[in-house]
Amino acid sequence: MNDAAGSQIISFDKIAVRSATERTATVPRHVRHQLVDARGKLFRLTVVLLACLWMPFANATEDTFEKTVAPILKRHCVSCHDARKEEGELRLDTLGRDFSNGQLAGRWRDVADRIRLGEMPPEDQPKLSAVEAKAVTDWIAKQLESGLSSRAHWAFQPVKKEFVPPLVPGDDDWVRNDVDRFVLAKLREAGLTPSAEADPVTLIRRVTFDLIGLPPTPDEVAAFVCDDSPLAWERVIDRLLSSPHYGERWGRHWLDLAQYADSSGFHNDLDRPHAWKYRDYVIRSFNTDKPYARFVAEQLAGDEVDGADDESFIATGFCRNGPSNDDNMGKTPEAIAQYRADQLDNVITTTSTVFLGLTIGCARCHNHKMDPLTSRDYYSLLAIFNGTQKHGLVPGTEDTNGKKVEVDPAVQIQALVERSSKVPPTFVMRRGIAANKGEEVDPAVPAVLVTEPLKFPQPDADDKSSLRRRTLADWITSPENPLAWRVLANRVWQHHFGKGIVDTPSNFGVSGSAPTHPELLDWLARQLIANGGRLKPLHKVLLMSATYRQSSQHRDAAAKIDPSNQLLWRMNLRRLEAEVLRDSILATSGKLNLKGGGPGIKPRIRAELLTASQRNKWPIVETENEQHWRRSVYIYSKRQLLMPMMELFDAPTTTDSCSVRLVSIVPTQALLLMNDEFVEDQAGFLAARAISEADDNLQCIVARMFELTVSRVPQPDRLREAIEFVKSRQTQSNRAAALTDLAHVLFNSSEFLYVK
Amino acid sequence: MLTRRHILQRAGAGFGALALRSLLASDGLLAEDAAGSPLLARPPHFAPRARAAIFLFMYGGPSHVDLFDEKPALAQWHGKAIPVWKDSDAFMGSKTKNVAMASPYRFARHGESGISISETYPKLARQVDKLCVIRSMHAESNNHGPALFQMNSGSILAGRPCMGSWVNYGLGSESDDLPGFVVLLDHQGAPVNGAMNWSNGFMPAAFQGVPFRSSGEPIAYLTPPKSVTTARQRSRLDLLKDWNTRYAAEHPAESDLAARIESYELAFRMQMSASECTDLSREPDHVQRLYGLDDKVTAHFGKNCLLARRMVERGVRFVQVYSGGNEGPKAWDAHDDLKKNHDLHCAETDGPIAALLEDLDARGLLDTTLVIWGGEFGRSPVAENGKGRDHHPKGFSMWMAGGGIQGGVTHGATDEFGYDAIEARVSVPDLHATILHQLGLDHKRLTYRFSNRDYRLTDVSGNVLHELLT
Repeated sequence: MNDAAGSQIISFDKIAVRSATERTATVPRHVRHQLVDARGKLFRLTVVLLACLWMPFANATEDTFEKTVAPILKRHCVSCHDARKEEGELRLDTLGRDFSNGQLAGRWRDVADRIRLGEMPPEDQPKLSAVEAKAVTDWIAKQLESGLSSRAHWAFQPVKKEFVPPLVPGDDDWVRNDVDRFVLAKLREAGLTPSAEADPVTLIRRVTFDLIGLPPTPDEVAAFVCDDSPLAWERVIDRLLSSPHYGERWGRHWLDLAQYADSSGFHNDLDRPHAWKYRDYVIRSFNTDKPYARFVAEQLAGDEVDGADDESFIATGFCRNGPSNDDNMGKTPEAIAQYRADQLDNVITTTSTVFLGLTIGCARCHNHKMDPLTSRDYYSLLAIFNGTQKHGLVPGTEDTNGKKVEVDPAVQIQALVERSSKVPPTFVMRRGIAANKGEEVDPAVPAVLVTEPLKFPQPDADDKSSLRRRTLADWITSPENPLAWRVLANRVWQHHFGKGIVDTPSNFGVSGSAPTHPELLDWLARQLIANGGRLKPLHKVLLMSATYRQSSQHRDAAAKIDPSNQLLWRMNLRRLEAEVLRDSILATSGKLNLKGGGPGIKPRIRAELLTASQRNKWPIVETENEQHWRRSVYIYSKRQLLMPMMELFDAPTTTDSCSVRLVSIVPTQALLLMNDEFVEDQAGFLAARAISEADDNLQCIVARMFELTVSRVPQPDRLREAIEFVKSRQTQSNRAAALTDLAHVLFNSSEFLYVK
Repeated sequence: MLTRRHILQRAGAGFGALALRSLLASDGLLAEDAAGSPLLARPPHFAPRARAAIFLFMYGGPSHVDLFDEKPALAQWHGKAIPVWKDSDAFMGSKTKNVAMASPYRFARHGESGISISETYPKLARQVDKLCVIRSMHAESNNHGPALFQMNSGSILAGRPCMGSWVNYGLGSESDDLPGFVVLLDHQGAPVNGAMNWSNGFMPAAFQGVPFRSSGEPIAYLTPPKSVTTARQRSRLDLLKDWNTRYAAEHPAESDLAARIESYELAFRMQMSASECTDLSREPDHVQRLYGLDDKVTAHFGKNCLLARRMVERGVRFVQVYSGGNEGPKAWDAHDDLKKNHDLHCAETDGPIAALLEDLDARGLLDTTLVIWGGEFGRSPVAENGKGRDHHPKGFSMWMAGGGIQGGVTHGATDEFGYDAIEARVSVPDLHATILHQLGLDHKRLTYRFSNRDYRLTDVSGNVLHELLT
């Protein structure tokens, strides 16, 4: 819910997936305006040029425009929407007519809407006659339709072989690798300069949080700060990339996308006792740097991959993570068919947004309004999954008397598989209603993404599956796929820099954001392909760059040119995600239990908040112990009752695939960090740890607390201030309590919560 | 020339002490002024008629033709196709047919004004002379998500600041110890879009709405652990404030850091004030009964209405109370069986809403509190699945009361079928412009600069409905 500029667009994307409105797919108005404004005059000039030069229009429609539409616009609209007045920042005299350009198409759509709704011309101006209005809106509608069939959109083009921008004398001072050359080229164009390298303490904190989601230990910090070798930085990166905690950190990003949860949601919110195996599978896959092609194939077609086994069956849990309501959606054949369609919709929607950055869910009920995706495309994709069935325990299955059904202990996984190569025929469902059968469709991938239809195998009758999903997976990760590698590279970038090159990471369609660095994105995608789809080499390239190592220090002059730091003239300041915050508190207090894997844990939630917990009750925990103090990725994710600390600090709701987390700031977060017994207890543990680890004088103890939490001992005056605080608190209680107070302040401080 | 002080004095009851904060602030006499707190009270553009608004949001789309917009033609045409309906109007294409459906409810005229209201709202009907019923609303989307966004933020897309954010941005908070924008949710949960419905969009995070829990502790972790006294907590927070202020100064472009400082101070005060505010046992029995707290059908919404009144009394600017949560029948989204759905939701809300109006009036608060009732759209005059109604944004009803709005009047009309708003059409931006106007804000001057452009809640449209003002 709850979004900085980037995530606003994401949420739009999320809604677009969900909804079937006729207006869903309009480009957000503010985004359009942003485009106009960010580029200012340059953009307007481009529009003028486009209007002048842009001629490849079919003559008939161009004739219609010149003969019919232009005179009407001139008569009624242009007097306000011209260079002189530019009301609503719209110039109709020069608005480009390239309808394959999403932004322009969106502006025209807006024009049509305003006219249709009678909002334009304004009240004090003569109205368009019905004939005039129809002429204009019909022409726009026709152009919108033809624009849709275009493959011109950048993300549907093949990934380009990008040449690294050449070095200019003097660049050597800053540039460390090719990433920097791309970034520097854009900065230079905008009249910006990059920032200097951050100090070593900042760097090691940043990279440690980024790669393993934990703070560096004081020893790790000291070792790095003292290491004068030119290889010091690389050694830190290598150490972290080979840590088993890397998978816990980066697996969590994937689990956001995969809408992972341990319960079914809906009214009953039933337990999914084996869902955690998928979570562990993801963590393992990241730790072993599994090639992306295999990773995708296992999740979509774990029963069809070479060497299919328990592991790959578990991987198909990806297709079972969405909310479900198996025993409660009606018993009629129509209701069952509709429910199955809804469940498959979740699979298709998630698959297309996660792997392809396409909001194809929009095409369930009607052709996509912005992207060249049709209902036919959607149902052709559905045909690929139409032979699947749920395998393993249907969670919480009960018989009609409400008794738990005995579960075959042999099948303790949650998978989606095929049992036969015979796939029932698939029909377009008009408006998304199962009972509303349209034409039959064959399996296919969206037409706009292929030059010729993808061939699906014709299996023998006694084969165990149709191999359709395997075919899909192989196509997704083929080097020719224009979307998959860009989408993946962008996600990796996003989690290192705080914002994607495309800041709508699950929407690369026409309604998504344009890339800030398109050439760099393609270059990164190619790196991924060249590395066999392994992520760790890509991490290393990004982390070794000077771009990543920049200070996050604000500069007024740069901020005037690029206030939202689109071009990366500095590093972005980032708040710790919910899990990282909790894990950091535990790590610094010394209580973090690093045991990995297994069923989800249920830490303490205040008893009065447990009323929302229905069937599978959350236990009342009086005192937490080490079994609760494991990493947050292992917290049981109950859809109806998310851990308050996770929920308040913007962990995903798990209802939909989440590609960007919000960063909300609300007083309820402050209340939690002030009042949660967890923070209080851990503050006490941190104080005790510092007492036991430091020399027995207050200055050493306090300094140790700073080292443990924020990796540095503050300036003498601030250290003195902290010591004075402890002394004054001590007069009220005792030393341990006074140090707990200081620890508590540290856990609440912005310096602890933010990564510079 | 009028001074601000005069304007505020003239603005009427309920202002007194609360307005002082605004005055002091504008004169630079409050300490926070130096710190540039985003929630600092700011003077309005002109004399306000209301100092707070309560938006009773009937999420899911209440049916205008079954509540406030009597359409005898639907009975005459019952079972027949109506000439105005187009297949493309249907949201649920296959289920919604062009077959008119008579309202299952009887309508009657009420009060001195004789406004017609259906039998589902008997208690509210007795308050009808306080209402200004707008029967000519129209909105832009026929789906919940975008329509909720539009009603809340003016845009059908996510990412714009919501009305409560705009109001607090324009006026600051009048309360030192409660958020300026509070959301009270239905016991069924949040509407679709979740917290995006009370998002600050591109504004600083301090303007985000704060949801209060519907059961248990009103706000999670409102009370400190037993070992932490108020004095102890305060001494921690004093040091924290020093540190966080210094950290924010090192990163001047990050509004989040300033918002964090604000959030702690507010949280500290909320501990006392929110507990006091949400402690409904402090209300006399007869008030609790008035709001229906003794009846399990009305208890939940009644509690939220009573809470809304207590919040307004304590200076909260904008309270949004949702009826209906989650999806489908848990909201006013009566696709399958209109009567069953509206019987339930009207029963849940009738008494509490009537109580709120009566109670605000009795306390002299209605004059300065604007109450708004409505959903994200209305429902189709034709049947869905035989006895349900589909989404319908082309014409629907909302009403306002108090806060300088005329009572006992109706405004605008839909056609004979309740299909299209045809007379004195009111757009969502018109409604927003009017709400802001009553709160002392000119919707055209209330702009927020983002990415080199001045944004408005009403974007490029919106006309204040001057004819409805007292």
